[in-house]
Amino acid sequence: MAVKFFGQFLVEKGVVSSEQVLKAIELQEKVNLKFGEMALSMGMITDKDVDRVHHAQRTEDLKFGDMAVKLGIISEAQLNEVLTRQKNNHLYIGEALVRVGGLTEEQLPQLLAEFKEDQAPYMVDRVVIPAGVPNGTLLEICADLTYKMMTRIADIQFRPGACALSDEIGSNDLLVGMELVQDLEARYVLSVSSGVRRMVAEGILKQGDVTGESEEMLNDTVMEFVNVVCGNVSAKAAQLGKNIEIRPPEVLQSGSGPLRVPAGKTGLRFPIYVSDEKVELFLIT
Amino acid sequence: MKRVLVVDDSLSVARQLENIIKASGDFEVIGHAKNGAEAIKIHQGEHPDVICMDMNMPVMDGLTALRTLVALDKNVKVVMVSSLGGVGDKFTEALKLGAKNVISKPFEPDKVMDVLRKL
Repeated sequence: MAVKFFGQFLVEKGVVSSEQVLKAIELQEKVNLKFGEMALSMGMITDKDVDRVHHAQRTEDLKFGDMAVKLGIISEAQLNEVLTRQKNNHLYIGEALVRVGGLTEEQLPQLLAEFKEDQAPYMVDRVVIPAGVPNGTLLEICADLTYKMMTRIADIQFRPGACALSDEIGSNDLLVGMELVQDLEARYVLSVSSGVRRMVAEGILKQGDVTGESEEMLNDTVMEFVNVVCGNVSAKAAQLGKNIEIRPPEVLQSGSGPLRVPAGKTGLRFPIYVSDEKVELFLIT
Repeated sequence: MKRVLVVDDSLSVARQLENIIKASGDFEVIGHAKNGAEAIKIHQGEHPDVICMDMNMPVMDGLTALRTLVALDKNVKVVMVSSLGGVGDKFTEALKLGAKNVISKPFEPDKVMDVLRKL
């Protein structure tokens, strides 16, 4: 019921043990050579070239292959040759599990089909981000998973509105934020009215009635909702080769005026229409 | 009755896990720690049969706590329950450090009990 990768799906399902997955991952680490290792094994570069590239990468954020091209160590054609070899030789976790005896070849197609079905609800739908805003794909994932979790966790009926630039975060009953760092430096802010907070609480606590729950508990359920969305954003980003770390969620404001988007930052507002209630997602990047 | 320690900075997750575990009939929750440091302290006194622990927590995160717990007690049974469970590197690190399983949030109640019963 969450964004997963195949190895985790199998361990959680109890089809393979954690020890078998670890063995398979170790095999992958041996077989799936990094760019520099692959280029070395193909005789394209020397150990000295590897050191030159690593040294240059300390001052400029470029991938190994791109840096090697920039330094004139390899040509564009050689870069593509190495990338193709990496792709063709890549050992996937399912095949690795077969090799270490965790799965049989016959089991694999059926389990892959089950995994695909499990993950189908988390295929990213298109969300239009205003032109010129960097990291558009990752921001799309943030918005899309917010929508999906509103349905899956809180069973809220809503209609997403068009995303637009915004220089303030409008006031609402509760604003919860979370910092995203590394490949996406952004602040995720979910703004909810008290009615939506109640719906989220019912979904998180799996209770039909949350009357009588403390303010602290109700606010905590929204923080947990944000934590679940952003954790799954991180998992989805990892599938794209991007690293997003998250910080613990925090209540930014409970029931007062609007917050300004800091100077030099871009604010994106995603209105979410729920009848008689107010929900907005803001991404500040 | 197997004794479970829940470790999560979220009150609501602790409540949710406690409700699921209590309803199982064969497991009980013996405590709630809000971060990894509290978990280590409670483990030293209570020696629970199972620890269900989040990864992303203030003060001390779950993977740091897991490393210490395994160093203190090589037989400790820790299941990570986290929204970051689907991040390949985090999952791998948790298993390498000695976690018995990793459950992603959001989770189904049945899935939690399946995992705990198979430990």
